[in-house]
Amino acid sequence: MTKKTYALMAAGLATLLFAAPANAASDEILIGGALSLTGIQAPLDTPGFNGAQVAVKALNDAGGLLGKKVKFVNIDGKSDPVTVGNVAVELIDKGAELMVAPCDFDFGGPASREAQSAGLVGISTCASDPLYSSWSLGDKQFTLSMWNTTMGATAADYALKERGWKTAYVVTDQFIAYTKSLSKYFVEHFKAIGGEIILEDTYTNGDNDFSAQLSRLQALGKKPDVIFISSYGTDIAVMIRALREVGYDAPVLGGDSYDDPAIHEALGKKLGNDVYFVTHTWMGPEAHPDMPKFIQLYKDMYGEAPDTSFVATGWDTIMLMAEAVKMAGTTDGAAVAKALEEGEFKLLTGDLSYKDADGGHAPDKAAVLVELKGGTPSFLGWRRPETIPNP
Amino acid sequence: MSFFLQFMIDVLSLGGAYALMALGLVIVYGILRLVNFAYGELIMVAGYTMYLTSGSGLPWLVMAAVAVLMAIMAGIATDYIAFRPVRAKSVTAVLITSFAFSTLLQNAALLFISPRPRNVPLPEIFSETVQFAGVITPARNLITIATAVVMLGLFSWLMRHTVLGIAMRAAATNFTMARMLGVPANLIISSAFAISGLLAGVVSMLWIGRVGAVVPGVGLEPLLIAFIATVIGGMRSLQGAVLGGFLLAFMDITLNFTLPQDLLKFRDAFTFSLVILILLWRPQGLIRGPASGQRT
Repeated sequence: MTKKTYALMAAGLATLLFAAPANAASDEILIGGALSLTGIQAPLDTPGFNGAQVAVKALNDAGGLLGKKVKFVNIDGKSDPVTVGNVAVELIDKGAELMVAPCDFDFGGPASREAQSAGLVGISTCASDPLYSSWSLGDKQFTLSMWNTTMGATAADYALKERGWKTAYVVTDQFIAYTKSLSKYFVEHFKAIGGEIILEDTYTNGDNDFSAQLSRLQALGKKPDVIFISSYGTDIAVMIRALREVGYDAPVLGGDSYDDPAIHEALGKKLGNDVYFVTHTWMGPEAHPDMPKFIQLYKDMYGEAPDTSFVATGWDTIMLMAEAVKMAGTTDGAAVAKALEEGEFKLLTGDLSYKDADGGHAPDKAAVLVELKGGTPSFLGWRRPETIPNP
Repeated sequence: MSFFLQFMIDVLSLGGAYALMALGLVIVYGILRLVNFAYGELIMVAGYTMYLTSGSGLPWLVMAAVAVLMAIMAGIATDYIAFRPVRAKSVTAVLITSFAFSTLLQNAALLFISPRPRNVPLPEIFSETVQFAGVITPARNLITIATAVVMLGLFSWLMRHTVLGIAMRAAATNFTMARMLGVPANLIISSAFAISGLLAGVVSMLWIGRVGAVVPGVGLEPLLIAFIATVIGGMRSLQGAVLGGFLLAFMDITLNFTLPQDLLKFRDAFTFSLVILILLWRPQGLIRGPASGQRT
């Protein structure tokens, strides 16, 4: 290496070092992100990250926020709660005024806790466990997603009220709070509206083996009307595959972790049938009149159409923050949190309003139902359960 | 009866896969006394090769053969890149380089392919079921058992009846002595890595065949399983690794069957408690293997 290259590298390093404090300059609003671009969380966070980038560009093209340019800096949280927390601290040190937290309580919680202790508003793009509340994280923390109370109740309503499936077999992955509580609220609501659970079983994420659970189901001697599987990542495909292979062809129901094209492809034409899931939105004009506009902006930026509704959670999180900051007229944590509590927001992922901090910042939100047919998802419509279980 | 048969098929198919994983790890350990932490990535390499060749329209068996070949090459590359340059210098250095190589491969997959799962093609027969004696089981389970039997048979013949195998066993017993008697060290070590890659490639087909998709971290679980199985069976013994693999599968499935629902979420705690008990009883593992020589 020549002296010149060393000099160039040194110059580059210097720019990096001196650029850091400049983020906090008064003509910019820095939004920090701790989304996980690698690891098990990546299938849900990467689309959110892409959507957030599109939103930031759209905001700046429209003149920015409070007359300032919006800057979004995301540091990979690596699907590791400790890293997520450290990344959040680093971003706050750099002058972040708002925090985008990863999905789900286990991974996103640390970012929100750091935001809370710095007095900033933090919003998770798609955490749906009711633990993601002001009760456990603090009065300035929110999640864009519906809670699992809504997700579980929507699935139960669809099964029993719309389709008349009366008996359910439930498998719960013991992976994280999300997978556990989704089953809990499904079971609670399904029983409350008159359904019967014939068997509940557990699975350990990463096992890649479903044989013992299958034997227990076979030993029961009766077939369920519907199978509810709450799991995460490709393990969902492992279980559906194992069930279908030995002749359990009852419809399969699940939550937003099914909204990943990799799972649909892994099931393919043969096994990807009669699978239904509750998720945030649908990437088509049927879901929201503004959706085509968002999809066009997304295409302009990435050259291809989005393949999961999680991209909309990233867009919505940034737009929700922008809306609340506009209402508050400042990025001050307490004022933005108050605006979020009081406002009603029309988003791509549905209309949203929050309860106050005493109410846990419980989101009031509708859900989308999607059906998988021949390995291809299709939109069934928006649903809002009449009653939901208590968190 | 049919329950027992079902149970046996489950244990043997999971155990077969575990045994092959463990064998691939222990073959290198036996000679070098070093755990190859990049072993899981060999499984990943085979998986991504399947993904990358999936559009080629080749028959599945050809794609699988290419994938296994890539795993073998990745195995040999591990030796050349991570082990050979620092092997004679320090144990710590080799540990670090094998971790580094593992991270390098994983991040290459993250950067150049995707952090999200990618689809791998599966043959029709992997999704079919077989019914006999009142048992319905996926054909894949029987294929796994058959593959394990063939691979273990082949491996055992190789180790007993070929010059390479005998040289490798000699190297595992006392490397210095073997070298003095004219066994070429580099060739033996590279062969061990190649065999390790072959086993990883075959395991990859069976393991990823359960999912139908590959992710950058796909090798972590198999590496952990292989490690535990070899620890139970005896780090120095090839038979021990196979025994350990089957025993681990037996423990996992038995606990899955017998634990009540409330305790099932703590299954891994039970498995590891059993592992600790076995190690207290037999600190060297179940099968002791050849007397330990100096690391070379």
